[in-house]
Amino acid sequence: MIRIQGLVKRFGTLEAVKGLDLEVPPGEIFGFLGPNGAGKTTTVRMLCGLIKPTAGRAEVAGFDVATQTISAKRSIGLVPDEPFVYPKLSGAEYLRFIGELYGVPLAESRRRIPELLEMFELGGWGGELVESYSHGMRQKLVIAGVLLHAPKVLLLDEPMVGLDPRSARMAKDIFQTLAERGTTIFMCTHILEIAEKLCDRIGIMIGGELAALGTLAELRSKAKGGGSGLEDVFLSLTGGAEYAELLKNL
Amino acid sequence: MVLLLLRRKARGLLNTLRGLSAYEGVRNLAFAAAGAGLLFGLYSGFYRLLAYLDTVELIGRLLLWKLTAMMMLTTFSMVSVSGLLTSLTTLYFSFDLRFLMQAPLSVSDIFIEKSLESIFFASWMIGLVLIPFIIALAQVCGYGWGFHAAFVVLLVPFLALAASAGIAVTLVILYLFPSSRTRDAVYVLATLSLTLVYALIRFAEPERLIRPDALHVVADYLNFLKAPTAPYVPSWWLTKGLSSYAAGQTGVFWTYCGLLYASAGVVYGLLLGLARRMYYVGYSGAQEGVVRRLRPPFEDLPECRVGRWLGGGPGPAVLFWRERKCFFRDVKHWSQILLILGLIFVYLYSVKRLPLDNGDIRSILSFLNVGVAGFVIAALGLRFTFPGISLEGRSWWVVRSAPVAVGDLMRQKFLFSAIPMTLVALALGVMTNRLLDADPFTARLSLAALLVMTWAVVAMGVGYGALFPMFTVENIHQIESSLGGFVYMASSLAYVGTSIMILSWPMQMHFKERFGDAAAWDWRIAGVCAAAMVLLNAAAFLAPWVMGRRRLEAYEGP
Repeated sequence: MIRIQGLVKRFGTLEAVKGLDLEVPPGEIFGFLGPNGAGKTTTVRMLCGLIKPTAGRAEVAGFDVATQTISAKRSIGLVPDEPFVYPKLSGAEYLRFIGELYGVPLAESRRRIPELLEMFELGGWGGELVESYSHGMRQKLVIAGVLLHAPKVLLLDEPMVGLDPRSARMAKDIFQTLAERGTTIFMCTHILEIAEKLCDRIGIMIGGELAALGTLAELRSKAKGGGSGLEDVFLSLTGGAEYAELLKNL
Repeated sequence: MVLLLLRRKARGLLNTLRGLSAYEGVRNLAFAAAGAGLLFGLYSGFYRLLAYLDTVELIGRLLLWKLTAMMMLTTFSMVSVSGLLTSLTTLYFSFDLRFLMQAPLSVSDIFIEKSLESIFFASWMIGLVLIPFIIALAQVCGYGWGFHAAFVVLLVPFLALAASAGIAVTLVILYLFPSSRTRDAVYVLATLSLTLVYALIRFAEPERLIRPDALHVVADYLNFLKAPTAPYVPSWWLTKGLSSYAAGQTGVFWTYCGLLYASAGVVYGLLLGLARRMYYVGYSGAQEGVVRRLRPPFEDLPECRVGRWLGGGPGPAVLFWRERKCFFRDVKHWSQILLILGLIFVYLYSVKRLPLDNGDIRSILSFLNVGVAGFVIAALGLRFTFPGISLEGRSWWVVRSAPVAVGDLMRQKFLFSAIPMTLVALALGVMTNRLLDADPFTARLSLAALLVMTWAVVAMGVGYGALFPMFTVENIHQIESSLGGFVYMASSLAYVGTSIMILSWPMQMHFKERFGDAAAWDWRIAGVCAAAMVLLNAAAFLAPWVMGRRRLEAYEGP
């Protein structure tokens, strides 16, 4: 469903993504981890057509994101790292807008929008302007928006940030159910516990390169420290003990 | 603590200046030169007016000081209203207030810093416009450098007083009605008041006062000229202080100077007292959201119906619907629309009052009106069309990641601006032609030219807006005053000027024919003019549009 070959992105002299090769099949939940500035968000932004790759090729649902951009975008639902939404639209209007943009029939919008708002506990807020929403409410609205048009591929950049425990649990259940129905989920996250419980495979980006790729069991076997959790695996790959000296001065 | 807060501002300004690249430095110098040019233009206008008034026998000087008093009164009112509007934002909605309010600072300290900021931003530009007036006055009357120094000494407390009055009104309003909606209501009411005052001043026909044929009535209002203009308002104290200094009455000058400084001190002290009681209540209320309960949008959207009827896809139609909703819910746009309506009325009224009897001159003016109206349309384009793309703001990702082509978004922006702009162009063109009773050829040519010009200027606005996107700015003024805004305005004006130049050839031939030259029309020249217009418009429509679309498709910012 997602096929990435030799993907490169340069910003001036900075090479943010260095020749990434990756395939994610239909129905897989793929966790994309890495320290800040590793190139995760840049990869997501290339996959959804927000920025153009410098070199290489990326396909989503069989469409090249650089040359068949509109067709590729029809198959994608994006939840960005910061859920900025038009402040002067109400929550329900935003969902209607998304529905029209992605060709959701009016009858379906009428049925699904109130359902989705209720599901995310926004039922009483659907008529309010988004400018009065909290960060978490906007995050829930954006997730509701991608669910409305049922995309084949979900690109999630830190989808759980700002969500209350109940909504986070519900979002996890929703993603699992969608994956069981064949939706591909590509998720960037720093919350290792979520990646550990939710993802079928995990890729760890460091300095623009894919440093590790595999199931949790495969990653454990590759880790130097031999720890049992994803956190140990992550720290052994990215380095994490350097701050111990600094802590003494705290 | 207040000093620490002010140092923070100074440090920020210094860092901005130090961080300027060579290109930015040159660009800012160019802006400064353009501003200086504008001030020089104002100076020339003031000088001619004051020099003319000074030649009027017996009452020349009286007229000069009466005009100065009126100028100061207007300045006082404008700075007060500006203080009211500016303080609404700086005192209650600044981005750094959340940080400052949770820091271990007293509310009074925060108020002092923010009120000083409000006073500065409310008054600096209006104060700057006074400078060419005062220089012109000093030159006409032969006053020396001491006069300028006296003006500066009087100006500081005068502006502080005016802005403080506005800030006090804001404090009281937000204290009595502590809500974020209050800001919206005040914006609209203040703009409406300004528009009305502007229209009333114009409808009073002040030009009649200085027309020689009206001077026979001057004797009747000689006493009026000698009488103080609003004696209890600080603008009169400033005028009296200045005129006393000019007349060598230094004692009177220092009296008024002391009055201004003492009043400024007392008013600011009262303001601080009010702030201790009211500021926090107003601030807290202004942060609270407003419940709107908008109707669920489950009907078939009118834009989508029209889109289907025209055979287009849902993308551009629903983008138009979203734009309409967002535009009319933003109160800042309403105030601009009110101002524009006021300006259009005043513009048409001024055309109506032009003292013209000759039909030929009226027709020529009707044609030249295309240039003036084109300038108005370009100015409106800078405010409404050019920022359109940038106003997608941080929500840009929604449209960019959706299956909508950048070209569709640009077409939607074009349509959204072109409809009201066409109405404005029609109002200006048709009404002016009727008021001036232009001949049919001139009326048709000028109206057609104005319509094409309007659409070209709108297309350029969208194109340049896409070429210079600014998705992370905080307000629309930053977009308007950016390099892109400057380039757009310069290109639009060049386009309007070139169009007038090309069209003046067929107009010349038309007038030769009117004056009896049967062989006035040279169809080869007319053909060349038509071809030149087609080329010019093709360049105006296509060049910024195509460059803008490419730039936006390749945009990689946040």
